[in-house]
Amino acid sequence: MDMLLMGLCLGVFGVVLVALAFGAAMRSESWNSTVQPELPLVKAAAPARFFSNRVPMTPAIPPLQVPIEVLLLQIENHVRMEQAAAESFLASPTQTLLHSKTTSPFVN
Amino acid sequence: MTHELLKDLSSAEAGQVLKLGTKLIIPNGVSLFRLGDPADRLFLVERGRIRLTLPMQVRGREEDVLVEERSPGQTVGWSALIPPYRFTLAATASLHQAEVIALPREALLQYFSANPVAGYKIALNLAVVIGHRLQLFQTMWLREMQRTVEVHSA
Repeated sequence: MDMLLMGLCLGVFGVVLVALAFGAAMRSESWNSTVQPELPLVKAAAPARFFSNRVPMTPAIPPLQVPIEVLLLQIENHVRMEQAAAESFLASPTQTLLHSKTTSPFVN
Repeated sequence: MTHELLKDLSSAEAGQVLKLGTKLIIPNGVSLFRLGDPADRLFLVERGRIRLTLPMQVRGREEDVLVEERSPGQTVGWSALIPPYRFTLAATASLHQAEVIALPREALLQYFSANPVAGYKIALNLAVVIGHRLQLFQTMWLREMQRTVEVHSA
C-alpha cells in the first residue's frame, strides 16, 4: 500500500514537473518574441524587398529584345530572301520551289 | 540604257518617248512619291536605286518596310497609267542619289493616240511589269500563308 502511494505521488510529481517545464518553455518562447521583435522583422523584410525589387524589373527591360534597327534589317533581309525565292519559282514554276524552306533567320 | 518600258520600240520611237520626259535627280533618302499621292507621272530609272516601301507597325512605331527595289532600266510608278491614279507604295532614292526620267501621263496618252503602234508596244511592256509584280507578290503571299498554316496546325 505504501509502495502504491509512493508510486502515485511520484507519478503526480512527475506530471507536475513536466507540466511546469512545458509551461516554462512556452513562456520563454513568447517572452523571446516580445523582447526581441526587431530580429525576425528585419530578417523577413530583407527577402521581401529583394523579391519586390526583382518583379518590376522583368517587364521594364525585357531580355533578348533586339534593337529596332536590327529588327528592321532582319525584316528587310527576309523580304529580299523571299523575293529571291519567288523569282526562282517564277523562273521555273514547280511545287518544290514554291514551298522551298526559307533560311531567313527572321522566321527560323 | 535600255528601258524595260521601251522594249521593242525603234530607236526613233524610244527617243520620241524620252523627249516627253524630264530628268530628275533624287538625293539619297529623299522621297520620289508617297503612298496615296496622286499618280500623274511614270518614272524610268536612269541611275541609282529606288526603294519601294510600305508602312508597317513595328513595336508600336510606323516604319517604312522595303517591298521592292528598282534599278536602272526599270519602271517605277505605273499607277500613273492605271486608275484610280494613286500611288500604292512609297518610293525613295537609296544608297546614292538616283536619276529618273519623269513621263507625264497626259503627254504619254497623247503620244499613244498619235502613235498607236508604239503605244501598243509600251502597253504590252507595262503589262509585263505589272504582271511580274503580281506574280512575285502572289508567290510571296502564298509562301507566307503556308508558314502561317504550318504554325497554326503545329
